[in-house]
Amino acid sequence: MIDPYGVLGVSRSASDDDIKKAYRKLSRQYHPDANVNNPNKAQAEEKFKQIQQAYRQIMQERERGASGSSGSYYGQEDAEGYDPFGFGGFGGFGGFGGFGGYAGNANRRAAEEDEDSLHLKAAANYINGGHYKEALNVLGTISERGAQWYYYSAIANAGCGNNVQALQYAKQAASMEPGNSAYQRLVQQLESGGSWYTGRQSPYMGMGGMQGNLCNRICLSYLLCSCCSGGCCYMPYGGMYCC
Amino acid sequence: MFGYIVVNKPELKFREFGVYQSYYCGLCRALKEKYGRFGQMTLSYDMTFLAMLLTGLYEPETSESTVRCITHPFEKHPVCMNVFTEYAADVNVLLSYYKCEDDWLDEHKAGKYLFASLLRKKNHRIAKEYPAKACKMAENLSRLHEVEKNGGVTLDETAGLFGEIMAELFVYKEDEWADSLRRIGFFFGKFIYLMDAYDDIEADIKKKCYNPFAPRFKEEGFEEEVKLVLTMMMAECSREFEKLPILLHAEILRNILYAGVWTKYEAVHARRMKEKEKAAENAEAARGAENGEPATDMRNEEAAEGTKNGELASDMRNKEAVTGVSDAASLTGTKDAGGKEENTERQDGVPKL
Repeated sequence: MIDPYGVLGVSRSASDDDIKKAYRKLSRQYHPDANVNNPNKAQAEEKFKQIQQAYRQIMQERERGASGSSGSYYGQEDAEGYDPFGFGGFGGFGGFGGFGGYAGNANRRAAEEDEDSLHLKAAANYINGGHYKEALNVLGTISERGAQWYYYSAIANAGCGNNVQALQYAKQAASMEPGNSAYQRLVQQLESGGSWYTGRQSPYMGMGGMQGNLCNRICLSYLLCSCCSGGCCYMPYGGMYCC
Repeated sequence: MFGYIVVNKPELKFREFGVYQSYYCGLCRALKEKYGRFGQMTLSYDMTFLAMLLTGLYEPETSESTVRCITHPFEKHPVCMNVFTEYAADVNVLLSYYKCEDDWLDEHKAGKYLFASLLRKKNHRIAKEYPAKACKMAENLSRLHEVEKNGGVTLDETAGLFGEIMAELFVYKEDEWADSLRRIGFFFGKFIYLMDAYDDIEADIKKKCYNPFAPRFKEEGFEEEVKLVLTMMMAECSREFEKLPILLHAEILRNILYAGVWTKYEAVHARRMKEKEKAAENAEAARGAENGEPATDMRNEEAAEGTKNGELASDMRNKEAVTGVSDAASLTGTKDAGGKEENTERQDGVPKL
Protein backbone atom coordinates (compact mmCIF):
# COMPACT_ATOMS: atom_id res chain seq x y z
CA MET A 1 0.00 0.00 0.00
CA ILE A 2 1.21 3.50 -0.81
CA ASP A 3 1.96 5.87 2.05
CA PRO A 4 -0.68 8.63 1.83
CA TYR A 5 1.67 11.17 3.38
CA GLY A 6 4.23 10.35 0.72
CA VAL A 7 1.69 10.95 -2.02
CA LEU A 8 0.96 14.43 -0.70
CA GLY A 9 4.62 15.07 0.05
CA VAL A 10 4.14 15.99 3.69
CA SER A 11 5.51 14.57 6.90
CA ARG A 12 3.40 12.54 9.31
CA SER A 13 3.58 15.36 11.83
CA ALA A 14 2.24 17.97 9.41
CA SER A 15 -0.70 20.05 10.62
CA ASP A 16 -4.17 19.61 9.16
CA ASP A 17 -3.80 22.93 7.39
CA ASP A 18 -0.49 21.90 5.82
CA ILE A 19 -2.10 18.75 4.52
CA LYS A 20 -4.99 20.72 3.09
CA LYS A 21 -2.54 23.10 1.44
CA ALA A 22 -0.55 20.27 -0.08
CA TYR A 23 -3.73 18.64 -1.30
CA ARG A 24 -4.96 21.88 -2.85
CA LYS A 25 -1.71 22.48 -4.68
CA LEU A 26 -1.38 18.97 -6.07
CA SER A 27 -5.01 18.52 -6.99
CA ARG A 28 -4.93 21.78 -8.90
CA GLN A 29 -1.83 20.63 -10.74
CA TYR A 30 -3.18 17.21 -11.69
CA HIS A 31 -6.83 18.06 -12.10
CA PRO A 32 -8.21 16.61 -15.35
CA ASP A 33 -9.44 20.05 -16.40
CA ALA A 34 -5.91 21.42 -16.17
CA ASN A 35 -4.47 18.57 -18.22
CA VAL A 36 -6.72 18.49 -21.26
CA ASN A 37 -3.82 19.12 -23.62
CA ASN A 38 -1.29 17.16 -21.65
CA PRO A 39 0.13 14.24 -23.67
CA ASN A 40 0.33 12.24 -20.41
CA LYS A 41 -3.29 12.85 -19.61
CA ALA A 42 -3.96 9.35 -18.35
CA GLN A 43 -1.04 9.47 -15.96
CA ALA A 44 -2.14 12.83 -14.61
CA GLU A 45 -5.58 11.48 -13.95
CA GLU A 46 -4.17 8.47 -12.20
CA LYS A 47 -2.09 10.75 -10.01
CA PHE A 48 -5.13 12.91 -9.32
CA LYS A 49 -7.05 9.91 -8.04
CA GLN A 50 -4.13 8.90 -5.85
CA ILE A 51 -4.01 12.36 -4.33
CA GLN A 52 -7.69 12.30 -3.53
CA GLN A 53 -7.47 8.86 -2.01
CA ALA A 54 -4.47 9.86 0.08
CA TYR A 55 -6.18 12.98 1.38
CA ARG A 56 -9.29 11.07 2.34
CA GLN A 57 -7.27 8.41 4.08
CA ILE A 58 -5.26 10.87 6.14
CA MET A 59 -8.33 12.78 7.25
CA GLN A 60 -10.04 9.60 8.33
CA GLU A 61 -7.02 8.31 10.19
CA ARG A 62 -6.64 11.59 12.01
CA GLU A 63 -10.28 11.78 12.93
CA ARG A 64 -10.15 8.30 14.33
CA GLY A 65 -7.13 9.24 16.37
CA ALA A 66 -8.81 12.40 17.61
CA SER A 67 -11.97 10.71 18.74
CA GLY A 68 -9.70 8.62 20.90
CA SER A 69 -11.57 5.37 20.78
CA SER A 70 -10.76 2.08 19.24
CA GLY A 71 -14.20 1.55 17.82
CA SER A 72 -13.91 4.27 15.21
CA TYR A 73 -17.51 5.14 14.91
CA TYR A 74 -16.57 8.13 12.88
CA GLY A 75 -15.29 7.76 9.45
CA GLN A 76 -14.98 4.53 7.69
CA GLU A 77 -14.00 4.12 4.08
CA ASP A 78 -16.73 5.27 1.76
CA ALA A 79 -19.99 3.83 2.93
CA GLU A 80 -20.69 1.70 -0.11
CA GLY A 81 -22.67 4.47 -1.67
CA TYR A 82 -25.73 3.06 -0.03
CA ASP A 83 -26.13 5.25 2.95
CA PRO A 84 -27.43 8.68 2.04
CA PHE A 85 -25.43 10.45 4.72
CA GLY A 86 -22.19 8.63 4.30
CA PHE A 87 -22.29 7.52 7.87
CA GLY A 88 -19.23 5.58 8.60
CA GLY A 89 -19.89 2.08 9.68
CA PHE A 90 -18.72 0.93 13.01
CA GLY A 91 -15.26 -0.19 12.19
CA GLY A 92 -14.99 -2.12 15.40
CA PHE A 93 -18.26 -3.77 14.85
CA GLY A 94 -16.84 -6.77 13.12
CA GLY A 95 -15.85 -8.24 16.44
CA PHE A 96 -19.40 -8.70 17.61
CA GLY A 97 -18.35 -9.98 20.98
CA GLY A 98 -21.89 -10.08 22.24
CA PHE A 99 -23.02 -12.60 19.76
CA GLY A 100 -21.40 -15.61 21.34
CA GLY A 101 -23.41 -15.11 24.48
CA TYR A 102 -26.49 -15.79 22.57
CA ALA A 103 -26.81 -19.47 23.35
CA GLY A 104 -27.09 -18.54 27.00
CA ASN A 105 -30.80 -17.99 26.78
CA ALA A 106 -31.43 -21.61 25.99
CA ASN A 107 -34.16 -22.06 28.55
CA ARG A 108 -36.49 -19.87 26.60
CA ARG A 109 -39.13 -21.35 24.42
CA ALA A 110 -37.41 -22.65 21.36
CA ALA A 111 -39.67 -21.15 18.75
CA GLU A 112 -39.60 -17.69 20.23
CA GLU A 113 -35.87 -17.74 20.70
CA ASP A 114 -35.40 -18.74 17.16
CA GLU A 115 -37.46 -15.93 15.81
CA ASP A 116 -36.06 -13.16 17.98
CA SER A 117 -32.49 -14.29 17.72
CA LEU A 118 -32.83 -14.69 13.99
CA HIS A 119 -34.10 -11.14 13.75
CA LEU A 120 -31.34 -9.87 15.96
CA LYS A 121 -28.81 -11.66 13.81
CA ALA A 122 -30.36 -10.21 10.69
CA ALA A 123 -30.13 -6.75 12.22
CA ALA A 124 -26.47 -7.30 12.97
CA ASN A 125 -25.87 -8.32 9.38
CA TYR A 126 -27.63 -5.25 8.09
CA ILE A 127 -25.56 -3.07 10.37
CA ASN A 128 -22.35 -4.70 9.24
CA GLY A 129 -23.35 -4.07 5.66
CA GLY A 130 -24.18 -0.45 6.39
CA HIS A 131 -27.91 -0.94 5.79
CA TYR A 132 -29.07 0.90 8.88
CA LYS A 133 -32.65 1.54 7.84
CA GLU A 134 -33.28 -2.13 7.23
CA ALA A 135 -31.63 -2.90 10.55
CA LEU A 136 -34.05 -0.55 12.28
CA ASN A 137 -37.01 -2.18 10.56
CA VAL A 138 -35.97 -5.63 11.71
CA LEU A 139 -35.24 -4.42 15.22
CA GLY A 140 -38.72 -2.93 15.38
CA THR A 141 -40.23 -6.40 15.02
CA ILE A 142 -38.46 -7.80 18.07
CA SER A 143 -40.59 -7.73 21.18
CA GLU A 144 -38.04 -8.84 23.74
CA ARG A 145 -35.81 -5.84 24.25
CA GLY A 146 -32.70 -6.63 26.23
CA ALA A 147 -29.44 -4.74 26.46
CA GLN A 148 -28.29 -6.18 23.18
CA TRP A 149 -31.40 -4.93 21.43
CA TYR A 150 -30.71 -1.43 22.72
CA TYR A 151 -27.09 -1.71 21.66
CA TYR A 152 -27.96 -2.66 18.09
CA SER A 153 -30.71 -0.07 17.95
CA ALA A 154 -28.28 2.58 19.11
CA ILE A 155 -25.85 1.74 16.32
CA ALA A 156 -28.56 1.52 13.67
CA ASN A 157 -29.99 4.84 14.78
CA ALA A 158 -26.59 6.49 14.71
CA GLY A 159 -26.16 5.16 11.19
CA CYS A 160 -29.44 6.75 10.16
CA GLY A 161 -28.43 10.10 11.61
CA ASN A 162 -30.71 9.79 14.64
CA ASN A 163 -27.94 10.78 16.99
CA VAL A 164 -30.12 11.75 19.94
CA GLN A 165 -32.04 8.48 19.95
CA ALA A 166 -28.79 6.61 19.46
CA LEU A 167 -27.24 8.07 22.59
CA GLN A 168 -30.37 7.34 24.59
CA TYR A 169 -30.40 3.71 23.55
CA ALA A 170 -26.69 3.29 24.08
CA LYS A 171 -27.05 4.61 27.61
CA GLN A 172 -29.98 2.27 28.18
CA ALA A 173 -27.90 -0.71 27.05
CA ALA A 174 -25.01 0.36 29.25
CA SER A 175 -27.22 0.76 32.30
CA MET A 176 -28.81 -2.65 31.78
CA GLU A 177 -25.43 -4.36 31.57
CA PRO A 178 -22.93 -2.09 33.32
CA GLY A 179 -20.15 -4.63 32.97
CA ASN A 180 -20.24 -4.72 29.17
CA SER A 181 -17.35 -2.68 27.87
CA ALA A 182 -18.67 -2.56 24.31
CA TYR A 183 -21.78 -0.74 25.50
CA GLN A 184 -19.73 1.68 27.55
CA ARG A 185 -17.48 2.31 24.58
CA LEU A 186 -20.43 3.09 22.35
CA VAL A 187 -21.74 5.66 24.82
CA GLN A 188 -18.31 7.25 24.92
CA GLN A 189 -18.08 7.31 21.15
CA LEU A 190 -21.45 8.94 20.78
CA GLU A 191 -20.62 11.50 23.42
CA SER A 192 -17.10 12.20 22.21
CA GLY A 193 -18.30 14.56 19.49
CA GLY A 194 -19.75 16.97 22.01
CA SER A 195 -16.60 17.30 24.09
CA TRP A 196 -14.43 17.55 21.00
CA TYR A 197 -16.64 20.35 19.76
CA THR A 198 -16.72 22.34 22.99
CA GLY A 199 -12.96 22.00 23.17
CA ARG A 200 -12.64 23.74 19.84
CA GLN A 201 -15.07 26.52 20.60
CA SER A 202 -12.99 28.80 22.79
CA PRO A 203 -11.03 30.74 20.16
CA TYR A 204 -14.28 31.73 18.48
CA MET A 205 -16.43 32.24 21.53
CA GLY A 206 -14.45 35.01 23.14
CA MET A 207 -14.62 35.85 26.79
CA GLY A 208 -18.29 36.67 26.89
CA GLY A 209 -19.61 33.83 24.83
CA MET A 210 -20.95 31.15 27.05
CA GLN A 211 -19.95 32.33 30.47
CA GLY A 212 -23.14 33.85 31.66
CA ASN A 213 -24.50 37.25 32.26
CA LEU A 214 -21.94 38.96 34.40
CA CYS A 215 -19.12 38.34 32.01
CA ASN A 216 -21.21 39.52 29.13
CA ARG A 217 -21.85 42.74 30.92
CA ILE A 218 -18.18 43.25 31.63
CA CYS A 219 -17.30 42.61 28.01
CA LEU A 220 -19.92 45.01 26.86
CA SER A 221 -18.70 47.78 29.09
CA TYR A 222 -15.14 47.21 27.94
CA LEU A 223 -16.31 47.21 24.40
CA LEU A 224 -17.97 50.55 24.88
CA CYS A 225 -14.85 51.95 26.53
CA SER A 226 -12.63 50.82 23.74
CA CYS A 227 -14.97 52.23 21.16
CA CYS A 228 -14.48 55.63 22.69
CA SER A 229 -10.74 55.43 22.63
CA GLY A 230 -10.72 53.57 19.36
CA GLY A 231 -8.20 51.02 20.48
CA CYS A 232 -8.01 47.58 21.99
CA CYS A 233 -8.80 46.94 25.57
CA TYR A 234 -7.43 44.36 27.88
CA MET A 235 -9.66 42.04 29.73
CA PRO A 236 -9.12 41.50 33.44
CA TYR A 237 -8.10 37.91 32.86
CA GLY A 238 -5.50 38.65 30.27
CA GLY A 239 -7.65 38.30 27.17
CA MET A 240 -7.84 41.01 24.60
CA TYR A 241 -10.88 42.43 22.99
CA CYS A 242 -10.57 44.30 19.72
CA CYS A 243 -13.23 46.33 18.11
CA MET B 1 -35.81 32.77 6.67
CA PHE B 2 -34.44 31.48 9.95
CA GLY B 3 -31.37 33.58 10.47
CA TYR B 4 -29.70 31.22 12.92
CA ILE B 5 -26.52 30.72 10.96
CA VAL B 6 -24.67 33.96 11.62
CA VAL B 7 -21.18 35.03 12.63
CA ASN B 8 -20.08 35.86 16.14
CA LYS B 9 -19.06 39.37 15.24
CA PRO B 10 -16.97 40.42 18.25
CA GLU B 11 -14.55 37.59 17.67
CA LEU B 12 -14.18 38.17 13.97
CA LYS B 13 -11.30 40.24 12.66
CA PHE B 14 -12.30 43.49 11.06
CA ARG B 15 -11.20 42.31 7.63
CA GLU B 16 -12.95 38.98 8.03
CA PHE B 17 -16.21 40.63 8.88
CA GLY B 18 -15.85 42.73 5.73
CA VAL B 19 -15.44 39.57 3.66
CA TYR B 20 -18.47 37.99 5.29
CA GLN B 21 -20.54 41.04 4.60
CA SER B 22 -19.41 41.18 0.99
CA TYR B 23 -20.80 37.68 0.45
CA TYR B 24 -24.00 38.65 2.16
CA CYS B 25 -24.27 41.59 -0.21
CA GLY B 26 -23.37 39.30 -3.10
CA LEU B 27 -26.25 37.03 -2.20
CA CYS B 28 -28.56 40.02 -1.92
CA ARG B 29 -27.56 41.23 -5.37
CA ALA B 30 -27.90 37.80 -6.89
CA LEU B 31 -31.40 37.57 -5.46
CA LYS B 32 -32.30 40.93 -6.88
CA GLU B 33 -30.85 40.25 -10.31
CA LYS B 34 -32.42 36.83 -10.65
CA TYR B 35 -35.67 37.21 -8.76
CA GLY B 36 -36.40 40.90 -8.42
CA ARG B 37 -37.52 42.81 -5.36
CA PHE B 38 -39.59 40.00 -3.91
CA GLY B 39 -36.75 37.61 -4.32
CA GLN B 40 -34.50 40.06 -2.53
CA MET B 41 -36.89 40.08 0.39
CA THR B 42 -36.04 36.45 1.13
CA LEU B 43 -32.42 37.34 1.90
CA SER B 44 -31.04 35.55 4.94
CA TYR B 45 -27.74 34.91 6.64
CA ASP B 46 -28.22 31.16 6.54
CA MET B 47 -27.54 30.90 2.86
CA THR B 48 -24.59 33.25 3.11
CA PHE B 49 -22.96 30.44 5.02
CA LEU B 50 -23.72 28.00 2.23
CA ALA B 51 -22.32 30.36 -0.41
CA MET B 52 -19.11 30.80 1.57
CA LEU B 53 -18.77 27.12 2.38
CA LEU B 54 -19.00 26.14 -1.28
CA THR B 55 -16.71 29.01 -2.27
CA GLY B 56 -14.13 27.82 0.25
CA LEU B 57 -14.37 24.26 -1.01
CA TYR B 58 -14.33 24.85 -4.76
CA GLU B 59 -12.49 28.19 -4.92
CA PRO B 60 -14.33 29.48 -8.00
CA GLU B 61 -13.63 32.68 -9.88
CA THR B 62 -15.11 35.43 -7.76
CA SER B 63 -15.80 38.96 -8.91
CA GLU B 64 -15.20 41.68 -6.36
CA SER B 65 -16.64 45.13 -6.81
CA THR B 66 -17.95 48.00 -4.77
CA VAL B 67 -21.53 49.15 -5.02
CA ARG B 68 -24.10 51.37 -3.42
CA CYS B 69 -27.43 49.92 -2.51
CA ILE B 70 -30.75 50.85 -1.00
CA THR B 71 -29.96 49.71 2.50
CA HIS B 72 -26.61 51.53 2.54
CA PRO B 73 -27.21 54.53 0.27
CA PHE B 74 -24.38 56.72 1.50
CA GLU B 75 -21.41 54.47 1.32
CA LYS B 76 -20.04 52.13 -1.26
CA HIS B 77 -19.35 48.67 0.01
CA PRO B 78 -17.63 45.62 -1.42
CA VAL B 79 -19.60 42.81 -3.03
CA CYS B 80 -18.36 39.29 -3.82
CA MET B 81 -20.22 37.30 -6.42
CA ASN B 82 -19.64 33.90 -7.99
CA VAL B 83 -21.52 30.80 -9.06
CA PHE B 84 -22.21 29.94 -5.46
CA THR B 85 -23.81 33.21 -4.48
CA GLU B 86 -26.09 32.53 -7.42
CA TYR B 87 -26.70 28.99 -6.31
CA ALA B 88 -27.38 30.16 -2.76
CA ALA B 89 -29.88 32.65 -4.16
CA ASP B 90 -31.74 29.86 -5.97
CA VAL B 91 -31.78 27.74 -2.86
CA ASN B 92 -32.89 30.66 -0.75
CA VAL B 93 -35.93 31.38 -2.90
CA LEU B 94 -36.78 27.69 -3.08
CA LEU B 95 -36.59 27.30 0.66
CA SER B 96 -38.49 30.51 1.37
CA TYR B 97 -41.28 29.50 -0.94
CA TYR B 98 -41.82 26.15 0.71
CA LYS B 99 -41.42 27.66 4.16
CA CYS B 100 -44.12 30.22 3.40
CA GLU B 101 -46.41 27.61 2.04
CA ASP B 102 -45.77 25.42 5.03
CA ASP B 103 -46.50 28.29 7.42
CA TRP B 104 -49.68 28.96 5.54
CA LEU B 105 -50.77 25.36 5.95
CA ASP B 106 -49.75 25.35 9.60
CA GLU B 107 -51.04 28.64 10.86
CA HIS B 108 -53.11 30.09 8.04
CA LYS B 109 -51.34 33.38 8.03
CA ALA B 110 -52.61 35.36 5.06
CA GLY B 111 -49.37 37.26 4.62
CA LYS B 112 -47.47 34.04 4.14
CA TYR B 113 -49.93 32.89 1.54
CA LEU B 114 -49.56 36.10 -0.35
CA PHE B 115 -45.80 35.93 -0.26
CA ALA B 116 -45.84 32.29 -1.32
CA SER B 117 -48.01 33.12 -4.30
CA LEU B 118 -45.63 35.91 -5.24
CA LEU B 119 -42.76 33.45 -5.21
CA ARG B 120 -44.64 30.65 -6.93
CA LYS B 121 -43.65 31.44 -10.47
CA LYS B 122 -40.03 31.94 -9.57
CA ASN B 123 -40.16 28.71 -7.68
CA HIS B 124 -41.39 26.76 -10.69
CA ARG B 125 -38.47 28.12 -12.64
CA ILE B 126 -35.98 26.96 -10.03
CA ALA B 127 -37.70 23.64 -9.51
CA LYS B 128 -37.16 22.91 -13.18
CA GLU B 129 -33.47 23.62 -12.78
CA TYR B 130 -33.07 21.39 -9.73
CA PRO B 131 -35.85 18.82 -10.02
CA ALA B 132 -34.42 16.33 -7.53
CA LYS B 133 -33.90 18.93 -4.83
CA ALA B 134 -37.30 20.53 -5.28
CA CYS B 135 -38.94 17.11 -5.22
CA LYS B 136 -37.16 16.09 -2.03
CA MET B 137 -38.10 19.36 -0.44
CA ALA B 138 -41.81 19.13 -1.29
CA GLU B 139 -41.95 15.49 -0.28
CA ASN B 140 -40.23 15.93 3.07
CA LEU B 141 -42.12 19.06 4.00
CA SER B 142 -45.44 17.38 3.40
CA ARG B 143 -44.28 14.39 5.42
CA LEU B 144 -43.10 16.73 8.13
CA HIS B 145 -46.46 18.41 8.10
CA GLU B 146 -48.20 15.10 8.53
CA VAL B 147 -45.88 13.90 11.27
CA GLU B 148 -46.19 17.16 13.17
CA LYS B 149 -49.94 16.94 13.01
CA ASN B 150 -50.06 13.41 14.36
CA GLY B 151 -47.40 13.98 16.99
CA GLY B 152 -45.92 11.09 18.95
CA VAL B 153 -42.66 10.81 17.06
CA THR B 154 -39.10 11.24 18.17
CA LEU B 155 -37.23 14.47 17.88
CA ASP B 156 -34.76 12.80 15.54
CA GLU B 157 -37.53 11.93 13.11
CA THR B 158 -38.99 15.40 12.68
CA ALA B 159 -35.66 17.17 12.77
CA GLY B 160 -34.28 14.53 10.43
CA LEU B 161 -36.92 15.25 7.80
CA PHE B 162 -35.82 18.86 7.70
CA GLY B 163 -32.20 17.77 7.88
CA GLU B 164 -32.64 15.69 4.74
CA ILE B 165 -33.87 18.75 2.89
CA MET B 166 -30.84 20.77 3.88
CA ALA B 167 -28.63 17.81 3.05
CA GLU B 168 -29.82 17.95 -0.56
CA LEU B 169 -29.45 21.72 -0.75
CA PHE B 170 -25.85 21.65 0.48
CA VAL B 171 -24.78 19.38 -2.37
CA TYR B 172 -23.89 21.50 -5.34
CA LYS B 173 -22.78 18.63 -7.51
CA GLU B 174 -22.30 14.91 -7.13
CA ASP B 175 -18.56 14.66 -6.73
CA GLU B 176 -16.09 13.41 -4.15
CA TRP B 177 -17.32 16.00 -1.61
CA ALA B 178 -21.02 15.30 -2.01
CA ASP B 179 -21.21 12.92 0.97
CA SER B 180 -19.46 15.33 3.27
CA LEU B 181 -21.62 18.26 2.21
CA ARG B 182 -24.70 16.15 2.60
CA ARG B 183 -23.71 15.26 6.13
CA ILE B 184 -22.93 18.86 7.03
CA GLY B 185 -26.26 19.96 5.59
CA PHE B 186 -28.14 17.20 7.35
CA PHE B 187 -26.94 18.11 10.81
CA PHE B 188 -27.20 21.80 10.06
CA GLY B 189 -30.81 21.21 9.13
CA LYS B 190 -31.44 19.32 12.33
CA PHE B 191 -29.80 22.10 14.29
CA ILE B 192 -31.91 24.77 12.59
CA TYR B 193 -35.10 22.82 13.09
CA LEU B 194 -34.42 22.23 16.78
CA MET B 195 -33.19 25.76 17.36
CA ASP B 196 -36.40 27.00 15.79
CA ALA B 197 -38.38 24.69 18.06
CA TYR B 198 -36.49 25.93 21.12
CA ASP B 199 -37.14 29.51 20.08
CA ASP B 200 -40.87 28.98 19.54
CA ILE B 201 -41.69 26.67 22.39
CA GLU B 202 -43.97 28.97 24.41
CA ALA B 203 -45.88 30.10 21.34
CA ASP B 204 -46.27 26.52 20.11
CA ILE B 205 -47.61 25.34 23.45
CA LYS B 206 -50.07 28.21 23.50
CA LYS B 207 -51.28 27.48 19.98
CA LYS B 208 -51.17 23.74 20.60
CA CYS B 209 -48.79 23.28 17.69
CA TYR B 210 -46.34 20.41 17.60
CA ASN B 211 -43.01 21.12 19.23
CA PRO B 212 -40.47 18.36 19.82
CA PHE B 213 -39.37 19.93 23.11
CA ALA B 214 -42.85 20.62 24.47
CA PRO B 215 -43.23 17.49 26.65
CA ARG B 216 -40.01 18.27 28.50
CA PHE B 217 -40.32 22.04 28.68
CA LYS B 218 -41.29 22.45 32.32
CA GLU B 219 -39.14 19.62 33.59
CA GLU B 220 -35.93 20.05 35.46
CA GLY B 221 -32.80 19.93 33.37
CA PHE B 222 -34.63 20.98 30.25
CA GLU B 223 -32.21 23.76 29.34
CA GLU B 224 -29.21 21.47 29.75
CA GLU B 225 -30.82 18.82 27.63
CA VAL B 226 -31.56 21.20 24.78
CA LYS B 227 -28.03 22.50 24.91
CA LEU B 228 -26.65 18.97 24.78
CA VAL B 229 -28.82 18.02 21.83
CA LEU B 230 -27.91 21.14 19.88
CA THR B 231 -24.24 20.62 20.67
CA MET B 232 -24.43 17.09 19.32
CA MET B 233 -25.76 18.41 16.02
CA MET B 234 -23.08 21.05 15.66
CA ALA B 235 -20.40 18.56 16.65
CA GLU B 236 -21.34 16.26 13.75
CA CYS B 237 -21.47 19.23 11.43
CA SER B 238 -18.10 20.61 12.46
CA ARG B 239 -16.37 17.26 12.42
CA GLU B 240 -17.33 16.82 8.82
CA PHE B 241 -16.33 20.36 7.98
CA GLU B 242 -12.83 19.80 9.34
CA LYS B 243 -12.40 16.93 6.93
CA LEU B 244 -12.92 19.12 3.89
CA PRO B 245 -9.84 20.74 2.34
CA ILE B 246 -11.09 24.26 2.97
CA LEU B 247 -8.52 27.00 3.48
CA LEU B 248 -10.23 30.00 1.91
CA HIS B 249 -12.55 31.73 4.42
CA ALA B 250 -11.96 28.84 6.80
CA GLU B 251 -11.72 31.05 9.87
CA ILE B 252 -14.96 32.85 9.08
CA LEU B 253 -16.70 29.54 8.55
CA ARG B 254 -15.30 28.21 11.82
CA ASN B 255 -16.47 31.34 13.59
CA ILE B 256 -19.98 30.52 12.40
CA LEU B 257 -19.75 26.80 13.18
CA TYR B 258 -18.24 27.07 16.63
CA ALA B 259 -19.71 30.33 17.90
CA GLY B 260 -22.03 32.22 15.56
CA VAL B 261 -24.70 29.54 15.53
CA TRP B 262 -25.04 29.97 19.29
CA THR B 263 -25.84 33.69 19.13
CA LYS B 264 -29.55 33.13 18.81
CA TYR B 265 -29.50 30.33 21.34
CA GLU B 266 -27.81 32.56 23.90
CA ALA B 267 -30.37 35.30 23.32
CA VAL B 268 -33.33 32.96 23.73
CA HIS B 269 -31.74 31.26 26.72
CA ALA B 270 -31.06 34.59 28.44
CA ARG B 271 -34.59 35.78 27.78
CA ARG B 272 -36.04 32.61 29.25
CA MET B 273 -33.85 32.77 32.33
CA LYS B 274 -34.90 36.35 32.90
CA GLU B 275 -38.56 35.41 32.61
CA LYS B 276 -38.01 32.60 35.04
CA GLU B 277 -36.36 34.96 37.51
CA LYS B 278 -39.20 37.39 37.12
CA ALA B 279 -41.77 34.68 37.70
CA ALA B 280 -39.93 33.59 40.83
CA GLU B 281 -39.80 37.18 42.06
CA ASN B 282 -43.51 37.62 41.44
CA ALA B 283 -44.27 34.46 43.33
CA GLU B 284 -42.17 35.67 46.23
CA ALA B 285 -43.92 39.03 46.20
CA ALA B 286 -47.26 37.31 46.27
CA ARG B 287 -46.16 35.21 49.22
CA GLY B 288 -44.93 38.35 50.97
CA ALA B 289 -48.32 39.98 50.56
CA GLU B 290 -50.00 36.94 52.08
CA ASN B 291 -47.79 37.14 55.14
CA GLY B 292 -49.19 40.59 55.82
CA GLU B 293 -51.78 39.17 58.28
CA PRO B 294 -49.74 37.10 60.69
CA ALA B 295 -52.40 36.16 63.25
CA THR B 296 -54.67 34.22 60.98
CA ASP B 297 -51.74 33.03 59.00
CA MET B 298 -50.32 31.05 61.89
CA ARG B 299 -53.45 29.05 62.18
CA ASN B 300 -53.64 28.63 58.45
CA GLU B 301 -50.10 27.44 58.37
CA GLU B 302 -50.77 24.87 61.05
CA ALA B 303 -53.79 23.69 59.22
CA ALA B 304 -51.82 23.56 56.04
CA GLU B 305 -49.12 21.55 57.73
CA GLY B 306 -51.75 19.19 59.02
CA THR B 307 -53.11 18.53 55.60
CA LYS B 308 -49.62 18.28 54.26
CA ASN B 309 -48.84 15.53 56.73
CA GLY B 310 -52.05 13.85 55.86
CA GLU B 311 -51.15 14.05 52.25
CA LEU B 312 -47.72 12.75 52.99
CA ALA B 313 -49.15 9.73 54.72
CA SER B 314 -51.47 8.97 51.90
CA ASP B 315 -48.57 9.59 49.53
CA MET B 316 -46.59 6.93 51.31
CA ARG B 317 -49.39 4.51 50.95
CA ASN B 318 -49.69 5.38 47.27
CA LYS B 319 -46.02 4.88 46.79
CA GLU B 320 -46.22 1.45 48.33
CA ALA B 321 -49.05 0.58 46.07
CA VAL B 322 -47.08 1.81 43.10
CA THR B 323 -43.99 -0.16 43.97
CA GLY B 324 -46.15 -3.17 44.45
CA VAL B 325 -47.52 -2.75 40.98
CA SER B 326 -44.12 -2.23 39.43
CA ASP B 327 -42.83 -5.35 41.15
CA ALA B 328 -45.67 -7.29 39.70
CA ALA B 329 -44.93 -5.77 36.32
CA SER B 330 -41.32 -6.84 36.41
CA LEU B 331 -42.35 -10.32 37.44
CA THR B 332 -44.65 -10.79 34.53
CA GLY B 333 -41.79 -9.68 32.32
CA THR B 334 -43.67 -6.94 30.52
CA LYS B 335 -40.68 -4.65 30.85
CA ASP B 336 -37.17 -5.79 30.24
CA ALA B 337 -35.71 -3.87 33.18
CA GLY B 338 -36.35 -6.67 35.59
CA GLY B 339 -33.47 -9.00 34.87
CA LYS B 340 -33.27 -11.69 32.28
CA GLU B 341 -33.63 -14.87 34.31
CA GLU B 342 -36.84 -13.77 35.90
CA ASN B 343 -38.19 -12.83 32.54
CA THR B 344 -37.46 -16.08 30.90
CA GLU B 345 -38.70 -18.14 33.80
CA ARG B 346 -41.89 -16.26 33.81
CA GLN B 347 -42.37 -16.53 30.14
CA ASP B 348 -41.90 -20.23 30.31
CA GLY B 349 -44.78 -20.45 32.70
CA VAL B 350 -47.08 -18.24 30.69
CA PRO B 351 -48.78 -20.25 28.01
CA LYS B 352 -48.35 -18.60 24.68
CA LEU B 353 -51.20 -18.52 22.28
